[in-house]
Amino acid sequence: MIANRVHAIVAAGLENPELLARWKQEPELLRAYGVDPAAFDLDAIWKFAGLSAKVKHNGLRFDLPLTFRFLSVNGLEIDIFGAYAAHKARAGTRYAPTTEGRIVEFVDFLRNWLDFDKREHELLWDLVRHESALAQLRNRTPSLGKCRVPHIVGEIILHEMTCDPRVLGKLLRQKTVDPGRVQRDVVYLGYWNPGDPEEICILELNELGYHLLSLVDGKRSLADFKAISKKLISAFDELASVGVISK
Amino acid sequence: MKYVTANSGAVAVGLAFGPIVPEFVTANPGLIDYVEIPFEQLRHSPDTGSIQETVPVILHCASMSVAGFVPPDDGTMKGIEREAERTKTPWIGEHLAFITAEPIQDDHTQPTALTYTVCPQMSEETVERVATNLASLQKRFNVPLILENSPQYFDVPGSTLSMVDFVSAVIERCQVGLLLDLTHFVISMLNTKKDPVSEIDRLPLEKVVEVHISGLSVQSGIAWDDHAIPAPPVVFDLFERVIARVRPKAVTLEYNWSPQFPESTLLRHLDRVHKIVRN
Repeated sequence: MIANRVHAIVAAGLENPELLARWKQEPELLRAYGVDPAAFDLDAIWKFAGLSAKVKHNGLRFDLPLTFRFLSVNGLEIDIFGAYAAHKARAGTRYAPTTEGRIVEFVDFLRNWLDFDKREHELLWDLVRHESALAQLRNRTPSLGKCRVPHIVGEIILHEMTCDPRVLGKLLRQKTVDPGRVQRDVVYLGYWNPGDPEEICILELNELGYHLLSLVDGKRSLADFKAISKKLISAFDELASVGVISK
Repeated sequence: MKYVTANSGAVAVGLAFGPIVPEFVTANPGLIDYVEIPFEQLRHSPDTGSIQETVPVILHCASMSVAGFVPPDDGTMKGIEREAERTKTPWIGEHLAFITAEPIQDDHTQPTALTYTVCPQMSEETVERVATNLASLQKRFNVPLILENSPQYFDVPGSTLSMVDFVSAVIERCQVGLLLDLTHFVISMLNTKKDPVSEIDRLPLEKVVEVHISGLSVQSGIAWDDHAIPAPPVVFDLFERVIARVRPKAVTLEYNWSPQFPESTLLRHLDRVHKIVRN
Protein backbone atom coordinates (compact mmCIF):
# COMPACT_ATOMS: atom_id res chain seq x y z
CA MET A 1 0.00 0.00 0.00
CA ILE A 2 1.47 3.34 -1.04
CA ALA A 3 2.82 5.21 1.96
CA ASN A 4 1.57 8.69 1.06
CA ARG A 5 -1.99 7.38 0.59
CA VAL A 6 -1.84 5.63 3.95
CA HIS A 7 -0.52 8.76 5.65
CA ALA A 8 -3.22 10.87 3.97
CA ILE A 9 -6.00 8.61 5.26
CA VAL A 10 -4.61 8.33 8.79
CA ALA A 11 -4.12 12.11 8.97
CA ALA A 12 -7.61 12.84 7.63
CA GLY A 13 -9.13 10.49 10.21
CA LEU A 14 -7.13 12.00 13.05
CA GLU A 15 -8.04 15.52 12.04
CA ASN A 16 -11.70 14.62 11.64
CA PRO A 17 -12.73 11.56 13.70
CA GLU A 18 -16.20 11.87 12.14
CA LEU A 19 -14.60 10.44 9.00
CA LEU A 20 -13.42 7.44 11.03
CA ALA A 21 -17.00 6.80 12.15
CA ARG A 22 -18.21 7.06 8.57
CA TRP A 23 -15.49 4.70 7.30
CA LYS A 24 -16.33 2.25 10.05
CA GLN A 25 -19.96 2.18 8.95
CA GLU A 26 -19.14 2.13 5.24
CA PRO A 27 -15.69 0.58 4.75
CA GLU A 28 -16.12 0.69 0.99
CA LEU A 29 -15.67 4.45 1.13
CA LEU A 30 -12.01 3.81 1.90
CA ARG A 31 -11.62 1.61 -1.17
CA ALA A 32 -12.33 4.68 -3.28
CA TYR A 33 -9.02 6.04 -2.03
CA GLY A 34 -7.20 3.00 -3.37
CA VAL A 35 -6.62 1.23 -0.05
CA ASP A 36 -7.84 -1.94 1.63
CA PRO A 37 -10.30 -0.93 4.40
CA ALA A 38 -9.47 -4.07 6.40
CA ALA A 39 -5.89 -2.87 6.84
CA PHE A 40 -6.90 0.16 8.89
CA ASP A 41 -7.47 -0.17 12.63
CA LEU A 42 -10.02 2.62 12.76
CA ASP A 43 -10.76 2.11 16.47
CA ALA A 44 -7.12 2.60 17.39
CA ILE A 45 -6.84 5.68 15.16
CA TRP A 46 -9.97 7.04 16.88
CA LYS A 47 -8.31 6.51 20.26
CA PHE A 48 -5.15 8.21 19.03
CA ALA A 49 -7.28 11.22 18.14
CA GLY A 50 -8.31 11.09 21.81
CA LEU A 51 -4.69 11.27 22.92
CA SER A 52 -4.10 14.24 20.64
CA ALA A 53 -7.19 16.02 22.03
CA LYS A 54 -6.06 15.26 25.58
CA VAL A 55 -2.65 16.82 24.95
CA LYS A 56 -4.32 19.89 23.45
CA HIS A 57 -6.11 20.30 26.78
CA ASN A 58 -2.99 20.15 28.97
CA GLY A 59 -3.51 23.85 29.64
CA LEU A 60 -6.64 22.96 31.63
CA ARG A 61 -4.59 21.04 34.17
CA PHE A 62 -3.82 24.27 36.03
CA ASP A 63 -7.50 24.73 36.85
CA LEU A 64 -8.70 21.12 36.78
CA PRO A 65 -5.84 19.15 38.40
CA LEU A 66 -8.05 16.71 40.29
CA THR A 67 -10.30 16.13 37.29
CA PHE A 68 -7.28 15.12 35.21
CA ARG A 69 -5.98 12.94 38.02
CA PHE A 70 -9.37 11.25 38.30
CA LEU A 71 -9.43 10.66 34.53
CA SER A 72 -5.93 9.21 34.70
CA VAL A 73 -6.36 6.87 37.66
CA ASN A 74 -9.65 5.59 36.27
CA GLY A 75 -8.25 5.15 32.75
CA LEU A 76 -10.87 7.43 31.24
CA GLU A 77 -8.72 9.97 29.40
CA ILE A 78 -8.52 8.32 26.01
CA ASP A 79 -12.20 7.36 25.82
CA ILE A 80 -13.44 10.75 26.96
CA PHE A 81 -11.11 12.85 24.84
CA GLY A 82 -11.69 10.52 21.88
CA ALA A 83 -15.43 11.10 22.22
CA TYR A 84 -14.81 14.81 22.68
CA ALA A 85 -12.68 15.03 19.52
CA ALA A 86 -15.40 13.21 17.59
CA HIS A 87 -18.05 15.50 19.07
CA LYS A 88 -16.15 18.62 17.98
CA ALA A 89 -15.62 17.15 14.51
CA ARG A 90 -19.35 16.39 14.20
CA ALA A 91 -20.21 19.92 15.27
CA GLY A 92 -17.60 21.28 12.87
CA THR A 93 -16.20 23.57 15.55
CA ARG A 94 -12.70 24.19 16.81
CA TYR A 95 -11.58 24.19 20.43
CA ALA A 96 -12.01 27.55 22.15
CA PRO A 97 -8.90 29.73 21.97
CA THR A 98 -8.79 30.46 25.73
CA THR A 99 -8.41 28.13 28.69
CA GLU A 100 -11.58 29.56 30.24
CA GLY A 101 -13.51 28.88 27.05
CA ARG A 102 -12.13 25.36 26.78
CA ILE A 103 -13.23 24.56 30.32
CA VAL A 104 -16.77 25.75 29.60
CA GLU A 105 -16.94 23.73 26.38
CA PHE A 106 -15.49 20.62 28.00
CA VAL A 107 -17.96 20.77 30.90
CA ASP A 108 -20.83 21.26 28.43
CA PHE A 109 -19.68 18.21 26.51
CA LEU A 110 -19.44 16.09 29.66
CA ARG A 111 -22.94 17.14 30.76
CA ASN A 112 -24.40 15.42 27.71
CA TRP A 113 -21.89 12.62 27.27
CA LEU A 114 -21.46 11.15 30.75
CA ASP A 115 -23.51 8.11 31.73
CA PHE A 116 -24.80 8.99 35.19
CA ASP A 117 -25.69 5.36 35.86
CA LYS A 118 -21.95 4.78 36.20
CA ARG A 119 -20.61 5.81 39.59
CA GLU A 120 -17.24 6.92 38.25
CA HIS A 121 -18.98 9.19 35.75
CA GLU A 122 -21.09 10.69 38.55
CA LEU A 123 -17.95 11.34 40.58
CA LEU A 124 -16.21 12.88 37.59
CA TRP A 125 -19.18 15.18 37.05
CA ASP A 126 -19.04 16.29 40.69
CA LEU A 127 -15.31 16.92 40.49
CA VAL A 128 -15.24 18.82 37.21
CA ARG A 129 -18.09 21.10 38.31
CA HIS A 130 -16.34 21.70 41.64
CA GLU A 131 -13.04 22.67 40.00
CA SER A 132 -14.55 24.61 37.12
CA ALA A 133 -16.72 26.62 39.55
CA LEU A 134 -13.66 27.61 41.54
CA ALA A 135 -11.74 28.42 38.33
CA GLN A 136 -14.61 30.50 37.00
CA LEU A 137 -14.85 32.52 40.22
CA ARG A 138 -11.07 32.95 40.43
CA ASN A 139 -10.95 34.42 36.96
CA ARG A 140 -13.74 36.96 37.45
CA THR A 141 -14.23 39.94 39.72
CA PRO A 142 -17.97 40.38 40.11
CA SER A 143 -19.45 43.84 40.05
CA LEU A 144 -20.93 44.94 43.37
CA GLY A 145 -23.47 47.40 42.00
CA LYS A 146 -26.51 48.30 44.07
CA CYS A 147 -29.79 46.63 43.32
CA ARG A 148 -33.33 47.25 44.57
CA VAL A 149 -34.26 43.58 44.69
CA PRO A 150 -32.67 40.71 46.63
CA HIS A 151 -29.45 39.78 44.89
CA ILE A 152 -26.27 37.83 45.50
CA VAL A 153 -23.44 39.89 46.91
CA GLY A 154 -20.69 39.08 44.44
CA GLU A 155 -21.25 35.87 42.54
CA ILE A 156 -22.38 32.41 43.54
CA ILE A 157 -22.40 29.13 41.63
CA LEU A 158 -24.69 26.43 43.02
CA HIS A 159 -24.18 22.73 42.54
CA GLU A 160 -26.03 19.68 43.77
CA MET A 161 -23.43 16.93 44.13
CA THR A 162 -23.58 13.18 44.69
CA CYS A 163 -20.60 13.37 47.05
CA ASP A 164 -18.46 15.98 48.73
CA PRO A 165 -15.87 16.70 46.00
CA ARG A 166 -13.44 17.95 48.65
CA VAL A 167 -13.36 14.48 50.19
CA LEU A 168 -12.87 12.96 46.74
CA GLY A 169 -10.06 15.48 46.14
CA LYS A 170 -8.28 14.39 49.32
CA LEU A 171 -8.45 10.76 48.21
CA LEU A 172 -7.07 11.69 44.80
CA ARG A 173 -4.07 13.35 46.38
CA GLN A 174 -3.14 10.03 47.96
CA LYS A 175 -1.03 7.57 46.03
CA THR A 176 -3.75 5.01 45.58
CA VAL A 177 -7.33 5.97 45.01
CA ASP A 178 -10.43 3.94 45.66
CA PRO A 179 -13.48 5.85 44.45
CA GLY A 180 -15.56 3.17 46.16
CA ARG A 181 -14.59 4.80 49.46
CA VAL A 182 -16.43 7.97 48.49
CA GLN A 183 -19.77 8.01 50.22
CA ARG A 184 -22.80 8.67 48.03
CA ASP A 185 -24.65 11.54 49.59
CA VAL A 186 -26.55 14.51 48.19
CA VAL A 187 -24.48 17.57 48.99
CA TYR A 188 -25.57 21.12 48.20
CA LEU A 189 -22.67 23.50 47.69
CA GLY A 190 -22.49 27.19 46.97
CA TYR A 191 -19.24 28.51 45.52
CA TRP A 192 -19.21 32.13 46.54
CA ASN A 193 -17.01 35.01 45.48
CA PRO A 194 -18.13 37.90 47.71
CA GLY A 195 -16.37 40.40 45.48
CA ASP A 196 -12.73 39.45 45.77
CA PRO A 197 -11.27 36.29 44.18
CA GLU A 198 -9.00 36.00 47.24
CA GLU A 199 -12.05 35.44 49.42
CA ILE A 200 -13.77 32.66 47.51
CA CYS A 201 -15.40 30.19 49.85
CA ILE A 202 -17.52 27.08 49.62
CA LEU A 203 -20.81 27.16 51.50
CA GLU A 204 -22.41 23.93 52.60
CA LEU A 205 -26.14 24.49 52.19
CA ASN A 206 -29.23 22.61 53.21
CA GLU A 207 -31.75 21.80 50.52
CA LEU A 208 -33.97 24.74 51.33
CA GLY A 209 -31.08 27.22 51.37
CA TYR A 210 -29.86 25.82 48.06
CA HIS A 211 -33.23 26.26 46.37
CA LEU A 212 -33.79 29.64 47.97
CA LEU A 213 -30.45 30.89 46.66
CA SER A 214 -31.25 29.51 43.23
CA LEU A 215 -34.30 31.77 43.21
CA VAL A 216 -32.23 34.87 44.01
CA ASP A 217 -31.65 35.98 40.44
CA GLY A 218 -31.52 39.75 40.89
CA LYS A 219 -34.89 40.03 39.14
CA ARG A 220 -37.38 38.72 41.72
CA SER A 221 -38.42 41.38 44.21
CA LEU A 222 -39.05 40.94 47.91
CA ALA A 223 -42.77 40.96 47.05
CA ASP A 224 -42.17 38.06 44.65
CA PHE A 225 -40.53 36.10 47.44
CA LYS A 226 -43.44 36.86 49.78
CA ALA A 227 -45.81 35.58 47.10
CA ILE A 228 -43.77 32.40 46.76
CA SER A 229 -43.91 31.99 50.54
CA LYS A 230 -47.67 32.41 50.57
CA LYS A 231 -48.02 29.87 47.77
CA LEU A 232 -45.94 27.44 49.80
CA ILE A 233 -48.16 27.80 52.88
CA SER A 234 -51.25 27.55 50.73
CA ALA A 235 -49.90 24.36 49.14
CA PHE A 236 -49.35 22.89 52.60
CA ASP A 237 -52.93 23.75 53.55
CA GLU A 238 -54.31 22.16 50.40
CA LEU A 239 -52.30 18.99 50.90
CA ALA A 240 -53.42 18.85 54.53
CA SER A 241 -57.04 19.41 53.54
CA VAL A 242 -57.05 16.33 51.31
CA GLY A 243 -55.23 14.34 53.99
CA VAL A 244 -51.97 13.80 52.10
CA ILE A 245 -50.04 15.40 54.94
CA SER A 246 -50.91 16.15 58.53
CA LYS A 247 -49.87 19.39 60.21
CA MET B 1 22.54 33.58 27.68
CA LYS B 2 23.82 30.11 28.54
CA TYR B 3 24.81 27.56 25.97
CA VAL B 4 25.52 23.86 25.98
CA THR B 5 29.28 23.56 26.24
CA ALA B 6 31.52 21.24 24.24
CA ASN B 7 31.11 17.62 25.17
CA SER B 8 33.48 16.72 28.01
CA GLY B 9 32.50 13.08 27.87
CA ALA B 10 29.98 13.41 30.67
CA VAL B 11 26.33 12.66 29.96
CA ALA B 12 24.30 15.87 30.27
CA VAL B 13 21.00 15.56 32.14
CA GLY B 14 18.11 17.87 31.34
CA LEU B 15 14.38 18.46 31.45
CA ALA B 16 11.84 19.03 28.73
CA PHE B 17 10.39 22.51 29.11
CA GLY B 18 7.04 22.51 30.89
CA PRO B 19 5.01 24.42 33.46
CA ILE B 20 7.08 23.29 36.44
CA VAL B 21 10.49 23.85 34.86
CA PRO B 22 11.20 27.60 35.27
CA GLU B 23 10.52 27.51 39.00
CA PHE B 24 12.36 24.21 39.40
CA VAL B 25 15.47 25.51 37.62
CA THR B 26 15.55 28.62 39.79
CA ALA B 27 15.05 26.63 42.99
CA ASN B 28 17.65 24.00 42.07
CA PRO B 29 20.57 25.81 40.40
CA GLY B 30 23.08 23.53 38.72
CA LEU B 31 20.98 20.40 39.13
CA ILE B 32 20.26 20.07 35.43
CA ASP B 33 22.55 20.82 32.51
CA TYR B 34 19.97 22.02 29.98
CA VAL B 35 16.31 22.44 29.15
CA GLU B 36 14.93 21.00 25.95
CA ILE B 37 12.38 23.26 24.25
CA PRO B 38 10.31 22.45 21.19
CA PHE B 39 10.59 24.92 18.34
CA GLU B 40 6.78 25.05 18.24
CA GLN B 41 6.67 26.35 21.81
CA LEU B 42 9.25 29.04 21.07
CA ARG B 43 7.25 30.03 18.02
CA HIS B 44 3.97 30.19 19.91
CA SER B 45 5.36 31.72 23.13
CA PRO B 46 8.71 33.38 22.41
CA ASP B 47 8.94 34.40 26.08
CA THR B 48 9.74 30.81 27.04
CA GLY B 49 13.13 31.31 25.39
CA SER B 50 14.14 33.58 28.27
CA ILE B 51 14.88 30.47 30.34
CA GLN B 52 18.17 30.38 28.46
CA GLU B 53 19.34 33.24 30.65
CA THR B 54 19.39 30.63 33.44
CA VAL B 55 20.14 27.33 31.74
CA PRO B 56 21.33 26.19 28.26
CA VAL B 57 18.77 25.04 25.72
CA ILE B 58 18.60 22.08 23.36
CA LEU B 59 16.17 22.53 20.50
CA HIS B 60 13.53 19.92 19.77
CA CYS B 61 11.15 19.92 16.85
CA ALA B 62 7.93 18.34 15.58
CA SER B 63 7.37 20.34 12.40
CA MET B 64 9.66 18.92 9.74
CA SER B 65 7.58 15.83 8.93
CA VAL B 66 10.76 13.91 8.18
CA ALA B 67 8.90 10.69 7.35
CA GLY B 68 6.15 12.44 5.42
CA PHE B 69 5.39 13.36 1.83
CA VAL B 70 4.50 17.02 2.38
CA PRO B 71 7.51 19.21 3.08
CA PRO B 72 7.33 21.88 5.78
CA ASP B 73 6.73 25.39 4.48
CA ASP B 74 9.62 27.76 4.09
CA GLY B 75 8.43 30.04 6.90
CA THR B 76 8.55 27.15 9.34
CA MET B 77 12.01 26.12 8.18
CA LYS B 78 13.34 29.65 8.47
CA GLY B 79 11.89 29.83 11.98
CA ILE B 80 13.67 26.61 12.98
CA GLU B 81 16.90 27.92 11.48
CA ARG B 82 16.59 31.12 13.49
CA GLU B 83 15.99 29.25 16.74
CA ALA B 84 18.85 26.87 16.05
CA GLU B 85 21.20 29.82 15.61
CA ARG B 86 19.81 31.79 18.53
CA THR B 87 19.89 28.92 21.03
CA LYS B 88 23.21 27.52 19.72
CA THR B 89 21.71 24.09 20.22
CA PRO B 90 24.25 21.29 19.74
CA TRP B 91 21.73 19.33 17.62
CA ILE B 92 18.05 19.37 16.71
CA GLY B 93 15.96 16.38 17.72
CA GLU B 94 13.12 15.70 15.27
CA HIS B 95 10.50 12.94 15.26
CA LEU B 96 10.86 10.06 12.85
CA ALA B 97 7.24 10.69 11.94
CA PHE B 98 4.91 12.77 9.84
CA ILE B 99 2.77 15.71 10.93
CA THR B 100 1.39 16.80 7.58
CA ALA B 101 -0.05 14.63 4.83
CA GLU B 102 -1.56 15.01 1.40
CA PRO B 103 -5.31 15.65 1.28
CA ILE B 104 -7.46 12.57 0.72
CA GLN B 105 -9.51 14.24 -1.98
CA ASP B 106 -7.66 15.28 -5.07
CA ASP B 107 -9.80 18.40 -5.33
CA HIS B 108 -8.57 19.67 -1.97
CA THR B 109 -5.42 21.69 -2.34
CA GLN B 110 -4.49 22.09 1.32
CA PRO B 111 -2.55 19.29 3.00
CA THR B 112 -3.86 17.90 6.27
CA ALA B 113 -1.83 19.51 9.04
CA LEU B 114 -1.90 17.80 12.42
CA THR B 115 -0.71 19.04 15.79
CA TYR B 116 0.72 15.71 16.89
CA THR B 117 3.35 13.61 15.11
CA VAL B 118 2.28 10.21 13.78
CA CYS B 119 4.25 7.00 13.33
CA PRO B 120 4.71 6.53 9.57
CA GLN B 121 4.26 3.49 7.42
CA MET B 122 7.34 1.45 8.22
CA SER B 123 8.53 0.31 4.80
CA GLU B 124 11.49 0.58 2.45
CA GLU B 125 9.56 3.28 0.63
CA THR B 126 9.43 5.41 3.78
CA VAL B 127 13.10 4.74 4.55
CA GLU B 128 13.98 6.17 1.14
CA ARG B 129 11.65 9.09 1.69
CA VAL B 130 13.28 9.89 5.04
CA ALA B 131 16.69 9.77 3.35
CA THR B 132 15.55 12.23 0.68
CA ASN B 133 13.88 14.56 3.18
CA LEU B 134 16.76 14.48 5.60
CA ALA B 135 19.35 15.23 2.91
CA SER B 136 17.39 18.33 1.98
CA LEU B 137 16.61 19.43 5.55
CA GLN B 138 20.09 18.89 6.95
CA LYS B 139 21.56 21.36 4.47
CA ARG B 140 19.74 24.18 6.23
CA PHE B 141 21.46 23.68 9.58
CA ASN B 142 24.98 23.93 10.91
CA VAL B 143 24.17 21.40 13.62
CA PRO B 144 23.11 17.78 13.09
CA LEU B 145 19.52 16.67 12.98
CA ILE B 146 18.91 13.54 15.03
CA LEU B 147 15.79 11.37 14.76
CA GLU B 148 13.48 10.23 17.54
CA ASN B 149 11.69 6.88 17.36
CA SER B 150 7.89 7.25 17.36
CA PRO B 151 5.48 5.47 19.65
CA GLN B 152 3.48 2.94 17.66
CA TYR B 153 -0.17 2.93 18.70
CA PHE B 154 -1.60 0.89 15.81
CA ASP B 155 -0.47 -1.12 12.81
CA VAL B 156 0.18 1.34 10.02
CA PRO B 157 -1.09 -0.29 6.80
CA GLY B 158 1.54 -1.29 4.30
CA SER B 159 4.27 -1.57 6.92
CA THR B 160 6.76 -4.29 6.10
CA LEU B 161 9.29 -3.58 8.85
CA SER B 162 9.08 -3.81 12.61
CA MET B 163 9.82 -0.68 14.65
CA VAL B 164 13.35 -1.84 15.41
CA ASP B 165 14.03 -2.80 11.79
CA PHE B 166 12.59 0.48 10.53
CA VAL B 167 14.60 2.65 12.92
CA SER B 168 17.74 0.63 12.21
CA ALA B 169 17.23 0.93 8.45
CA VAL B 170 16.76 4.71 8.67
CA ILE B 171 19.81 5.17 10.89
CA GLU B 172 21.93 3.00 8.59
CA ARG B 173 20.64 4.54 5.36
CA CYS B 174 20.89 8.16 6.55
CA GLN B 175 23.89 7.88 8.87
CA VAL B 176 22.02 10.01 11.36
CA GLY B 177 22.07 10.10 15.16
CA LEU B 178 19.29 8.50 17.18
CA LEU B 179 17.22 10.21 19.83
CA LEU B 180 16.12 7.09 21.66
CA ASP B 181 12.82 7.75 23.40
CA LEU B 182 12.73 4.79 25.76
CA THR B 183 9.09 5.32 26.64
CA HIS B 184 8.08 5.43 22.98
CA PHE B 185 10.09 2.27 22.55
CA VAL B 186 8.34 0.46 25.42
CA ILE B 187 4.95 1.66 24.13
CA SER B 188 5.72 0.28 20.68
CA MET B 189 6.85 -3.04 22.14
CA LEU B 190 3.74 -3.34 24.33
CA ASN B 191 1.42 -2.47 21.46
CA THR B 192 3.06 -4.89 19.06
CA LYS B 193 3.55 -7.61 21.69
CA LYS B 194 7.33 -7.74 21.45
CA ASP B 195 9.89 -8.15 24.18
CA PRO B 196 11.50 -4.75 24.84
CA VAL B 197 14.68 -6.23 26.32
CA SER B 198 15.61 -8.42 23.38
CA GLU B 199 14.41 -5.86 20.86
CA ILE B 200 16.41 -2.96 22.29
CA ASP B 201 19.60 -4.94 21.84
CA ARG B 202 18.88 -5.02 18.09
CA LEU B 203 18.83 -1.22 17.83
CA PRO B 204 21.96 0.60 16.62
CA LEU B 205 22.63 1.87 20.14
CA GLU B 206 26.07 3.16 19.16
CA LYS B 207 24.20 5.90 17.25
CA VAL B 208 22.26 7.13 20.29
CA VAL B 209 22.94 10.83 20.90
CA GLU B 210 20.14 11.57 23.34
CA VAL B 211 17.69 9.58 25.44
CA HIS B 212 14.13 10.59 26.39
CA ILE B 213 12.37 9.27 29.48
CA SER B 214 8.71 9.87 30.36
CA GLY B 215 5.63 8.10 31.69
CA LEU B 216 3.19 5.83 29.92
CA SER B 217 -0.34 4.72 30.63
CA VAL B 218 -2.39 1.82 29.35
CA GLN B 219 -5.96 2.79 28.50
CA SER B 220 -8.58 1.23 26.24
CA GLY B 221 -6.24 -1.65 25.53
CA ILE B 222 -3.37 0.47 24.19
CA ALA B 223 -0.21 1.85 25.81
CA TRP B 224 0.07 5.64 25.45
CA ASP B 225 2.72 8.27 25.96
CA ASP B 226 2.03 10.22 29.15
CA HIS B 227 4.30 13.07 30.25
CA ALA B 228 2.10 13.78 33.28
CA ILE B 229 3.11 10.67 35.20
CA PRO B 230 6.49 9.19 36.18
CA ALA B 231 8.31 6.65 34.01
CA PRO B 232 7.62 3.04 35.04
CA PRO B 233 10.43 0.75 36.23
CA VAL B 234 10.75 -0.97 32.83
CA VAL B 235 11.89 2.31 31.26
CA PHE B 236 14.64 2.72 33.85
CA ASP B 237 15.63 -0.93 33.43
CA LEU B 238 16.08 -0.34 29.71
CA PHE B 239 17.94 2.88 30.40
CA GLU B 240 20.45 1.01 32.56
CA ARG B 241 20.81 -1.57 29.80
CA VAL B 242 21.48 1.14 27.21
CA ILE B 243 23.97 2.98 29.45
CA ALA B 244 25.85 -0.26 30.03
CA ARG B 245 26.57 -0.32 26.31
CA VAL B 246 26.84 3.30 25.17
CA ARG B 247 27.37 6.85 26.42
CA PRO B 248 24.75 9.18 24.94
CA LYS B 249 25.48 12.90 25.11
CA ALA B 250 22.27 13.77 26.90
CA VAL B 251 19.32 12.35 28.81
CA THR B 252 16.06 14.30 29.00
CA LEU B 253 13.28 13.67 31.48
CA GLU B 254 10.01 14.62 29.80
CA TYR B 255 7.66 15.43 32.67
CA ASN B 256 6.19 18.46 30.99
CA TRP B 257 2.43 18.04 30.69
CA SER B 258 1.25 18.75 34.20
CA PRO B 259 1.85 21.71 36.52
CA GLN B 260 1.14 19.32 39.40
CA PHE B 261 3.94 16.87 38.62
CA PRO B 262 5.38 16.16 42.09
CA GLU B 263 8.72 17.85 42.66
CA SER B 264 9.78 15.03 44.98
CA THR B 265 9.35 12.52 42.15
CA LEU B 266 11.20 14.77 39.75
CA LEU B 267 14.13 15.08 42.18
CA ARG B 268 14.14 11.34 42.79
CA HIS B 269 14.17 10.53 39.07
CA LEU B 270 16.89 13.09 38.34
CA ASP B 271 18.95 11.54 41.09
CA ARG B 272 18.35 8.09 39.63
CA VAL B 273 19.40 9.23 36.15
CA HIS B 274 22.52 10.94 37.54
CA LYS B 275 23.50 7.78 39.41
CA ILE B 276 22.99 5.57 36.36
CA VAL B 277 25.03 7.77 34.04
CA ARG B 278 27.85 8.18 36.57
CA ASN B 279 28.25 4.45 37.13
